Amino acid sequence: MKKVNFSKWMMWVTALYLILPLVLTFLYSFSSEWINVLPTGFTFKYYMQILPRQDFYMSLARTLLICVLTIVLAGILMLLAMYVVTVYHPKFDKYLQILCMIPYALQGIIIAISILTLYSGAKGLFGSRIIMLVGTYCIIILPYMYQGIRNALRAVSARELIEAAQILGCTRFYAFFRIIVPNILSGIIISSMLSMGIIFGDFVVVNVIAGSSYQTASMFLYKTMAQSGQATSVVIVVMFIITLILSTIAFKLRNKTH
Amino acid sequence: MALVPLAGVLLFYLIIPLFNLILKSFLKEGQLVFTLEYYVSVFTKKYYIGAIINSVLIAIISATIGMFIALFAANAANHATAKSKNKFLSILNMTSNFSGIPLAFAYIILLGNTGILVVLGKKLGIEALAHFNVYTITGLIITYVYFQIPLATLLLIPTFEGLRKEWREASQILKASSFQYWIHIGIPILLPSIFSTLSVLFANALAAYATAYALLANNVSLLPIRISEMFVGDVYQRPGLGSALSVIMMLLMVIAVYINQYLLKKVRGGGAR
Repeated sequence: MKKVNFSKWMMWVTALYLILPLVLTFLYSFSSEWINVLPTGFTFKYYMQILPRQDFYMSLARTLLICVLTIVLAGILMLLAMYVVTVYHPKFDKYLQILCMIPYALQGIIIAISILTLYSGAKGLFGSRIIMLVGTYCIIILPYMYQGIRNALRAVSARELIEAAQILGCTRFYAFFRIIVPNILSGIIISSMLSMGIIFGDFVVVNVIAGSSYQTASMFLYKTMAQSGQATSVVIVVMFIITLILSTIAFKLRNKTH
Repeated sequence: MALVPLAGVLLFYLIIPLFNLILKSFLKEGQLVFTLEYYVSVFTKKYYIGAIINSVLIAIISATIGMFIALFAANAANHATAKSKNKFLSILNMTSNFSGIPLAFAYIILLGNTGILVVLGKKLGIEALAHFNVYTITGLIITYVYFQIPLATLLLIPTFEGLRKEWREASQILKASSFQYWIHIGIPILLPSIFSTLSVLFANALAAYATAYALLANNVSLLPIRISEMFVGDVYQRPGLGSALSVIMMLLMVIAVYINQYLLKKVRGGGAR
């Protein structure tokens, strides 16, 4: 009996420890001044300062643009590859898996650095910072896109479905893109949301590759940090809410599909 | 044909850049001459070797502490009711998103020069808190432990679910103490996933960039920060040296995976006896 109490206690202490910095940041964004143990007063001043700023929205929009471009691109590439692997060459899956898992092991900093060294001096398409960013993010989210889409394909028994469709006179291409893809749509959306969360919270890739030349939301956050503590916490709260919405959608969808 | 787009992106944004990076670490700048000078200066200059040692130390310590806490937390979650377990899981999911700059910021307002806990320590006369400096290796470790805990717990919970109640009951019937149960049954079963989780945590801390960048800028020398400086520095860039440091970082991760696999084999071999 004592044992159970101890472990229950352990769980809530951990939970409290994890939540404390979040709550603190949240409270900080509403505090007028906090140089003592407790803040002296509460205010919406810093929200009024940050929320109407156009460059804040522009930075959010830039992040969103990169997210959408990357996820659409990675999604299309992955689906096309999965089409070949599922329909024609199931034994390629092994190699595809190894290749798609490399970025997971390498971590962002190495991938960003290696792409930067190769293309930073290049002219034209490859040298464009936006293309470099999209390419880098594409590689970084590949493991998540791969896992998500492959699991979804397995869950709907894609190969059997395609065979059945073929017997009924469909082409394999039609069967994959008109029957299988709509059926695994929630799987694709889950991986996309996960990837979006990753790109949204990223700082290392954008700082290494674009620096201040392409100000995303996390670059805006970093800049604000040098100016005002409360304003920084406002930006963190807004960004965290967006991340939370994304992960909640993914979580809800996952529960629905199971 | 449909494989070509993905293969192209993999080739141009993963494989060629990586080869280029490795190659650059062995070539004299702008020439096709083999050299080991970058590796020699990495291992002889205190500036670089210090960064490697700091990073490895911080990664090992934060992974170990994080793992220790996560073991208790995952065990507790396993014994909890379904409702509180779900609550705990959603807290873990939520806080695992809280890393990088936001995390560094939260720890600055908590433990920075005028941080809440530091002020509290001064008021209450707790010396350790009053003079705590978050902009040091200790501060960095404390901050890193924060993001290790949710990750480790989320990775460990499924393994704890695999510990069957019957085993525990059987050991109790045979008069084993709780300690004996964990030493002879619980931990040996958990050990493989403890090792693999440790290597994930190690890699995670080794490559962590944003938290360190926002927290200390230049107080403590760290591998990922040094690497990025070599390529994007304002003053002078040294891509050769940076490439050598990147290769060393990759090797460190490979070593971590290798040690993990070696230990796994040992554990499995020991289990069969």
